[in-house]
Amino acid sequence: MTLSVDVIKRGGQRQSEQFMRDKLHNSIVSTCLSVRVPTGQAESIAHSVCEAVIAWLQQHPEVTSQDIRIVATKHLRIQHPEAAYLYEQNRITI
Amino acid sequence: MDIPGSLAIISLAALIHASFQLSVSVLTLLSGHSIGAKHSQARLLRLTSSFVIGAAVMTVLLLSSVSLILIQFYGSNPPLVVWAAASGLMVGVALCIWLFYYRHDKGTALWIPKAFAVYLNDRTKATKRSAEAFGLGLSSVFGEILFIIAPLLVSALVLIQLPAVWQLAGLAIYTVISLLSLLIVWVLIGSGHSLGKIQKWRESNKYFLQFVSGAGLIVLVLFIYAVEILGSTVGFN
Repeated sequence: MTLSVDVIKRGGQRQSEQFMRDKLHNSIVSTCLSVRVPTGQAESIAHSVCEAVIAWLQQHPEVTSQDIRIVATKHLRIQHPEAAYLYEQNRITI
Repeated sequence: MDIPGSLAIISLAALIHASFQLSVSVLTLLSGHSIGAKHSQARLLRLTSSFVIGAAVMTVLLLSSVSLILIQFYGSNPPLVVWAAASGLMVGVALCIWLFYYRHDKGTALWIPKAFAVYLNDRTKATKRSAEAFGLGLSSVFGEILFIIAPLLVSALVLIQLPAVWQLAGLAIYTVISLLSLLIVWVLIGSGHSLGKIQKWRESNKYFLQFVSGAGLIVLVLFIYAVEILGSTVGFN
């Protein structure tokens, strides 16, 4: 599913793109799997986080990828704090 | 200096090297991407083992190269001024570590050139084969050259004064000890520990590790100053 929301990429150096639910879903699933969450549970957590992010996006036609990450982390923290921690750390590990 | 004393200096220098964190960060990230991409445990182990071997090979290459350069310039008995310069470099690196080693943000991001950090991040995500993981291991050690040059230089200065067989032993001791932190994380990941917990521990203790690295270098400088510089001046050596 594609919402008509422009996502401005990190640093503003790359072209903005349309929000893609699948991309967010896959990144949440991948993070959950990294903390050894079973696949089914990871899919279910990702589904619920994506729904929350899409609800938030309805009121924001233009956002940065960092905004999406912050909102997704907030909702992921409710579902699985350890996965949320790792999701937040992805860009600040190195 | 006698052989046990020389090996003790090499061991302490290698421990300081082991407290540096770039390779551990890359290994954590590599494992996260691999587990997240639903790769099998065997493939995860292949990738992480190749990474560790790459880091070991680069450590051996760097220490051997620095030793070779020193032998070419000074033979097997470096002059006092080289020891003094190495001591000065170590104090400078220790201060840099205390001031700059970690970026003052959340996470465990290090004070390395931003472009290199982005490159390592992107390469880690793209790594699918053992050969790529091996290359990543090589790069991650080289990426920290600004900090590891101090323990490497001191170990090389000690190594070149040893008999040939002990040089090899010293090289092996340095490599194994300098990889200890990486090996511990590798074993934890291989045995199924959560990456979240490992990363949380690293973040919680990052300022302690930063302090220990700098303090270790200062202790090493004091020891070298006493044994090599003062010892030579007053005629103990």
